[in-house]
Amino acid sequence: MRIQVNARNRGYEFEALPGERVLYAGLRAGIDLPYECATGTCGTCKAKLLSGRVKDRWADAPGRKFVKPQAAEFLMCQCAAEDALTLEVSKFVYPVEPGVCVPQTCGGTLRNLRPLTHDVLGFALELERPRDFDAGQFVLLAPEGMAGYRAYSMCNYERGGRHLEFVVKRKADGAFSQWLFGANREGASLDTFGPLGKATFDPGLGKNLLCIAGGSGIAGMMSILARATASGYFERHNGRLFFGVRAMRDAFFLRELTEFGRHNVEITLALSDEEIPEKARQDWPGLRFERGLVHEVAKRRMAGNYQNVRAYVAGPPPAVDAAIRVLLLDARLTTDNIRYDKFS
Amino acid sequence: MAKRLVCRVADVPENGLKECEAEGGLKLVVANAGGEFFGFQASCPHQDVPLCEGLFDGSTLTCHMHLWQWDVRTGAPLGLAEAPLQRYPIAREGDALYLGGESGALDVGELFNGLNSSTLEKLVSLARRERHPAGAVLYRPGDPAEDFFVLDSGRIEFLVGRGEHAAPAGFMLKKGEVFGWAALLEGYAARIASARCLEEASLLRINGKAALRVLESDPASGFVVMRRLAALIARYLATSGAK
Repeated sequence: MRIQVNARNRGYEFEALPGERVLYAGLRAGIDLPYECATGTCGTCKAKLLSGRVKDRWADAPGRKFVKPQAAEFLMCQCAAEDALTLEVSKFVYPVEPGVCVPQTCGGTLRNLRPLTHDVLGFALELERPRDFDAGQFVLLAPEGMAGYRAYSMCNYERGGRHLEFVVKRKADGAFSQWLFGANREGASLDTFGPLGKATFDPGLGKNLLCIAGGSGIAGMMSILARATASGYFERHNGRLFFGVRAMRDAFFLRELTEFGRHNVEITLALSDEEIPEKARQDWPGLRFERGLVHEVAKRRMAGNYQNVRAYVAGPPPAVDAAIRVLLLDARLTTDNIRYDKFS
Repeated sequence: MAKRLVCRVADVPENGLKECEAEGGLKLVVANAGGEFFGFQASCPHQDVPLCEGLFDGSTLTCHMHLWQWDVRTGAPLGLAEAPLQRYPIAREGDALYLGGESGALDVGELFNGLNSSTLEKLVSLARRERHPAGAVLYRPGDPAEDFFVLDSGRIEFLVGRGEHAAPAGFMLKKGEVFGWAALLEGYAARIASARCLEEASLLRINGKAALRVLESDPASGFVVMRRLAALIARYLATSGAK
């Protein structure tokens, strides 16, 4: 199916497979169409249909609140072409940069499912074939036969590898987490589409790193710190990570974070709902502990330390918004030095 | 038309934002920049997010959703923003704020917004407002490039190549955006694309040579315009990530 996209700077043409969502077809063709969550929530990928028909594969997507159906708007991440389409995207759109990993579909097998806390699981995916991704990116996952993808950030970093690491928090209304927590899924087959996401880190950056993560938002930070420490980045630049959870029972990856700490990264655990247990300090001497919401803890520690900083933020939307407020208004970082993922 | 009350001065906190509905039903966001008041369209041109939920430090307005930013004095886009804000001049009388008229397409536009007001007036006096029905062709390849256009409403399609080989350039313009800017350049006497109205369009037509004479008489403004024109052209030439 031929799809013509008119963006604000130029037009593009690409082919979509039957049933393939317009966004994925465009990204696969190396066209950097606008998106953020790529899973029907954020509304960033909305487009206007000029000709042709689309089939909406998720009519109840939360991101639908951003589109005006009477103006022929639709979400590219949820709609597939029924015939040849002409669309309008009211943003500047460029081809993906050379060297950026172009997303593709790829099958995988679920491995090493293990509890990390009372409501967080870790798991790995063995891909059918080696794939590249950048530190900080995510992929879309769907169990075979389940409609709709969910987005998960990789926790590891490996070039040309077949092994991806993830964490998932149990959510009462999350179909994927229900599926994952519901039975022993070791060895199950999943479809993936990716890698996606622009909150990426490359050692060529040359800036001090500030990472602020709430809950399972720590995933992408693990990938970034893995990439950075492996390249000796913190011999030349400062690194600080602030990891916010409610209480010690919600904290995970503390052994891995302690290891990063040995590579000159300052790791702070922010507990919002309990005083710091003395045992935590004894068990984890390589980590700092502070009481408070993660953006407040980061703000106190970072005051006066924002020179040449690139910030990465991930977590629940309210935590991300609060952190961005600090980074813009207190730290006065420019927007290109604030990279973030909002999970909803 | 009667003065249209926006709100009370005390409603807008110092270096803060307030969404208001002016008499007559216009929704806008009012920014208080150290006692000076600026009015803008109430929602972000990107995804219609209310700008009153945004961040404001007294000079830069940021939409919290995707961090688009604008200069509060002009509505001009900064950083990641890809479109200007529609500006509504605000007049203060005593403890009340009133609408001071609507800014035109030129003042909203990316080339001319925030210029010295006498220069802007001269440019406005050069502009002819035109309405074109859907399907009207504004110019074709090879036509003389004498005038440039500022879009006020409607949609314009651009085709490159001739006859059967014509292909959509895919440009899509927003209110205040400029096209046909070859008329402002030396040595580009003829159009290289065709421009056609996809729906009824309202636009301002300005003679390029006359506009250049106005800008030469106010070199400070002229320099600003040429810098913006260079940035605009670079954006269309640029490939990925070079914006």
